[in-house]
Amino acid sequence: MELFGSFTVLTGSIFLFSAGLGVLRMPDSYNRIQTGTKASTLGTILVLTGLAILHPAWTWKLLILIFFILLTNPVSSHALARAAHAIHVAEAEETVVDKLEEEENNAHAEEQP
Amino acid sequence: MTGLPVSTYVLSSGLALILIGLWGLLMQKNIIRMIIGFSLVDTGIHMVMIAIGYVTGRTAPIIDSAVSIKDAATRVVDPVPSALVLTAIVIGLGVTAVMLSYAVSIYREKKSLSIDDCSESKW
Amino acid sequence: MLKRLFIFLTLILVAVIFSDLALNYSEHSKLSGLAQHYASDGPEELGAANLVTSVVVTYRGLDTLGEVTVLFISAAGVGLMLRRREHPNSRAPARKPASELVETAARLLMPMVFVFGVYVFVNGHLTPGGGFQGGAIVASGVLLLLLALPQAQLGHRLIGFTESLSGFSYVAVGVLGIVLAGGFLDNRILPLGSFGSLFSAGAIPIIYTFVGLKVGSELSAVIDRFRSDESRPEQ
Repeated sequence: MELFGSFTVLTGSIFLFSAGLGVLRMPDSYNRIQTGTKASTLGTILVLTGLAILHPAWTWKLLILIFFILLTNPVSSHALARAAHAIHVAEAEETVVDKLEEEENNAHAEEQP
Repeated sequence: MTGLPVSTYVLSSGLALILIGLWGLLMQKNIIRMIIGFSLVDTGIHMVMIAIGYVTGRTAPIIDSAVSIKDAATRVVDPVPSALVLTAIVIGLGVTAVMLSYAVSIYREKKSLSIDDCSESKW
Repeated sequence: MLKRLFIFLTLILVAVIFSDLALNYSEHSKLSGLAQHYASDGPEELGAANLVTSVVVTYRGLDTLGEVTVLFISAAGVGLMLRRREHPNSRAPARKPASELVETAARLLMPMVFVFGVYVFVNGHLTPGGGFQGGAIVASGVLLLLLALPQAQLGHRLIGFTESLSGFSYVAVGVLGIVLAGGFLDNRILPLGSFGSLFSAGAIPIIYTFVGLKVGSELSAVIDRFRSDESRPEQ
């Protein structure tokens, strides 16, 4: 059982490391926000789960923590990315599709007449 | 490490913060940066006050399962600097709010945030 | 140029004084006399488990009253300087709404933040925390509301009423201390109760509740003032 818990914590730390690596190496802000949030949220959840397996007395508190992190981390990165798009932060040159811009143009075109 | 006690490190970093905040206050031209300098001086002073009240090897001044009533006087750090810093943090918040409202008013009047444009008080 | 030279000179002199302070600092090995008295006699006299709370609310209660007054004055100053121009035909300006995800998450989170803030200031005499910290947490919950639902309007009458009522009740509890117990802001007007339970330490939870409510409503009013009242030009 302890081996399984330690293995989960190790996997979580690998994900956290890859989140840091992604924030360093991605070409533009939107990519950085995306890798930072996804990988670090999963890494944190795995580390906390592994901790819950290693110390079963803390299970409920860690579950509540996981719930809070799952609720706040993606929402805050979503708000940050939308704000970055609203002030026209530069996109990478390889960008092909920009769904948010298309959607806003459609919304404007509908309001015109 | 068996070198200096912890409170010396906290004291020195608090004094360094005060120095950095003073530099920001005196050298910067943007009003918002000067307000950030004030905030840094505040934080540095709080750290210095907490460091002075610390005694090595003792724990927080709260009586629960870790510290019983009988040996409270020999097991806790000084509670008075903590109480003073509690007050000081709230006062720092109030002062920062007033300074920021000054900055907003100045911006509304002069459309610029540089302190070089506010020259009415100069001779 | 000369001004910069003087600034550098000042900073170097201040640095010399600070280094002298830091190098000659030797830590105490035991508590000073006053702290000794607070730590050894405080819990039995006052019944509060948190020694810092007993210092802030009872032993140094008058300073806390002064601090609450300073907060009130700063909030009044902010309200004076950021006064909204009274236009006769202006309603709430059109603000760009936040996305639906943020709104849903904020609606889910805000009650939890408020409950946590209230928990912190009601349990100020047992765990770390107290009125000022709990009030700041409540104000950050209000900030979350203002950021996620930009078209929300705060009830200014309710906030002002809460603030004045809490301030007045704080002084009233203090005066009750003179009438019923040892002096101003003495907490023995209510029974000390069993050590470590919620209803213990006399009037300390009541005082801290009033302080927490006052600080929370005050900071919410200050945050609301800083919202821009002119609508920003659409890009």
